Amino acid sequence: MTAIDDAAAAAPGAAATARGSLLSVAGPRLAAVLLGAACVAWSAAPPGHGGWPEVALIVAIIAVTAGGLRLALADVPEPDDAYLLSGWMRSWLNFLALLRTLAWEEIAVAAVLWLQVQHPGRPWPTAALGAGLTAYLLITHIAETGADPARMLRRHAKLLAIGACLLALAAGFAMIPAATPGAGASLLRVLAAAAVIAAAALVIPA
Amino acid sequence: MIKIAHIERTPASLDPPDPTSAPGHLGPSSQVRADEIAIRWRPSRHARRLLTLAAGGLLLAVVFRRPELAGLAAPALLLLGAGRATRGGLPGRLTVRVGLTSTRIYEGEPAAVDVVVSGAGETAGVAAEAGVPGTLGAAGGSSGARFDARWALEPGRGVEPGSATAVNGQAARFTFAIERWGKRKLGTVTLTLHDHWRLAEGRVALALPAIDCYPAPALQRTEVVLSKLPNRLGEHRARVPGDGTEFTGVREYVPGDRQRAINWAASTRLGRLQVNTFAAERSQDVVLLVDATSDVGEPGRSALDLGLRGASGAARAYLAARDRVGVISYQWGGAHWLAPSLGRRQFYRIVDALLQSDTGFARGAVFSRLPRAALPPGALVVAFSPLLDGRFVESLRDMRERGFSLIVVDVLNAEPPRRRAFADSAARRIWTLEQDAIRFSLRELGVPVVAWDGVTPLDLPLAPYTRRPLVTRR
Repeated sequence: MTAIDDAAAAAPGAAATARGSLLSVAGPRLAAVLLGAACVAWSAAPPGHGGWPEVALIVAIIAVTAGGLRLALADVPEPDDAYLLSGWMRSWLNFLALLRTLAWEEIAVAAVLWLQVQHPGRPWPTAALGAGLTAYLLITHIAETGADPARMLRRHAKLLAIGACLLALAAGFAMIPAATPGAGASLLRVLAAAAVIAAAALVIPA
Repeated sequence: MIKIAHIERTPASLDPPDPTSAPGHLGPSSQVRADEIAIRWRPSRHARRLLTLAAGGLLLAVVFRRPELAGLAAPALLLLGAGRATRGGLPGRLTVRVGLTSTRIYEGEPAAVDVVVSGAGETAGVAAEAGVPGTLGAAGGSSGARFDARWALEPGRGVEPGSATAVNGQAARFTFAIERWGKRKLGTVTLTLHDHWRLAEGRVALALPAIDCYPAPALQRTEVVLSKLPNRLGEHRARVPGDGTEFTGVREYVPGDRQRAINWAASTRLGRLQVNTFAAERSQDVVLLVDATSDVGEPGRSALDLGLRGASGAARAYLAARDRVGVISYQWGGAHWLAPSLGRRQFYRIVDALLQSDTGFARGAVFSRLPRAALPPGALVVAFSPLLDGRFVESLRDMRERGFSLIVVDVLNAEPPRRRAFADSAARRIWTLEQDAIRFSLRELGVPVVAWDGVTPLDLPLAPYTRRPLVTRR
C-alpha cells in the first residue's frame, strides 16, 4: 500500500485525492493481472487440443490468477492469534498462506514459455511475448513493493530500450532460414548455455 | 530483530488530549538511540523471477534450437547484469533511529512513531516528511550506489494505525491511537531496502517499544466535600473559623486578633471593637476504590473500563483541588493500594497503579485488613464498582460501619441476555431484584449509590452530593 497523505486527505478535494490514492494502489495490481492474462492469451493462441499444451494453459491461468489474488490480498492482515478459529477462518488463513508462499509468477512464466514453445517458430510474436513477460514481472514488483512506477521505469528506461533492441535482433536473426544444422547452430547453443551460466553467476550471492 | 537500547522520556501533559488538535501536529518525538545494524543483502523476488525468465528462455532456446527464445531472455539478462555490476556498493551497516512523540498517552489520543535510517557513521537527521522518496548514500562505499527504503508497520494488539502502514522513504512517521487502556506493545516496523535496480534486498525488523495508554479521565469539575475536614490547609471551606477568604460573621475583639480584621462599621454601631471571622480552608483525604474483579460488558465500555475512567477523572479533579488522593484497586479479595498524596506526580502514580488492574489476581494486601496509610481515618472513599462481588459489597458495609464516608458510583452497564425461555427470564428477573436489593441495602446504611453510564460527566450523578458538604452519621 503506498503512502496516503493525511493532511491532503483533510483538505478540500479530499475525494479526488482519495480516488487518486486508490488508483495508485489498485492500478499496478490490476495492470499486473491484465499483463499476465495478455501473455497467457498471446502464447496460447491458437489453442492446442489436449495433452501438455492444455495442462500448461491451465497451469498458466491458475498461476496468473493466484498471483493477482496475492497482490489484491496483500494488505489483508492475519489475526494476532490462531486460537479457537472457526473452520471457515482456518480455511481462509490456509488459502492466504498458500497464496503468499508459492512463487506464482515464476510458475506463470514457466507455463507461458512452455505454451509458446508448443507453437512452430514465431519470431516476432515471441519477441512481443518477451516484452510482455518482462513488463509483467516489472509491474508485479511495483505492485507488491509499492514503488513509484514513474521513478522506477525512468531508471530502467535505458536498459529496457536496449533489451527491446535485442529482442528485435533475436527475432530478426531467427527469421534468417538456417541452411543446415552446422557450426552456426552449435555455436548458438554454446553461447546460450554460457549465457545461462553467466546469468546464474550474476545473481547467486557470493 | 533489534531492541531499542534506551528511551529518554519526555513529560506528558496532565490534561486530556485536546479533541480539536489535528493529527498532523504531534510535535517532535522523544530521542531514542539505536545501534548500528548489519544489513544482509540477498536477491529479491524480482531477481528470482527475472532469473527464471532468463534461464527458461535460454534453456528452451538450446533444447528446441529456437534463437528467438534466447532473445526473449535478453531484457532479463541485461537487468540482472546491471544489478550484479552495482552490487559492490551495497552498505553492510546502517543506523536506524526510532522516536516516539509520547511514551504515555490517553485512550484515543493520537501519537506517532518516527523512524529514520541513515548510513553508518552519518548523523541521523530529523525525520523528513513521510512519503518523500528517499535515497541513501552508501556507507563507506566507493560507487555511491543509491538505495530505496520502505517502512512497513505491523501494529501490535489494540493499536489502531491512523495513517498508512507502509511508507516509502528514508524517514517515516506512523500515527496511531490506542482505544483501550493498558500497556501496549506498538508492534514491529520492517525496513526493506532495495538497490538501484531492485534486484538486491535487505530486510530488518525493529521491535517498537511498549507504550502506556492511560484511561481517558472522565469529566468532573465539582467535588464532594466532607462536612468534617482534617486540620490541614486546603481549598475547601470548613465549618470552623480560620484564616480563609470566605466571610462567616462578626465577633467581639479579643487581644491577639489582627488589627486588619477589625470591622469598623460594626464596632461603631456596637460601641465595642468587632472583628470579621472567616471560614477555615481545609483539604481532605480522598481514597478512590476501584473494583477490578468484575469486568462485565462490552470491551471498551465494560465495568472496569468505566471504573478506571471514573477514578482517573476523580483523581484529577480532587488533586486539582489540592486534596490528598490515594487509590485502592480491589481484585478477588486482594488489593493494590497507593497512599494518598498531593501534586501532579501523584496523578501519574495513581494511573500507573490503576494500569496494574489488568494483571489479574492481586497478590498485594488483604482487602479487609488495609493499613491506615492506605485508608486514613476520616477519608472520603469513592468506590467505582458494578457491585457484583459479594465480598466487595460486604467490605463496603464494613467500611461504612467503621465510620468512613462512602459514595458508590455504580458502573454496571450490562445485563444478562434476554431469552424467551421461562427459566431464563425468571433468572434474569431474580438477578435484577438481587442487584436492586444490594443497592437498597447500601442506601439504607447511609451509603449513596449513584449510577453512571460512562458518557455523561461525573458531575451529573454526583450533583446532589456536591452542592453541600457530605455529612456522615455514625
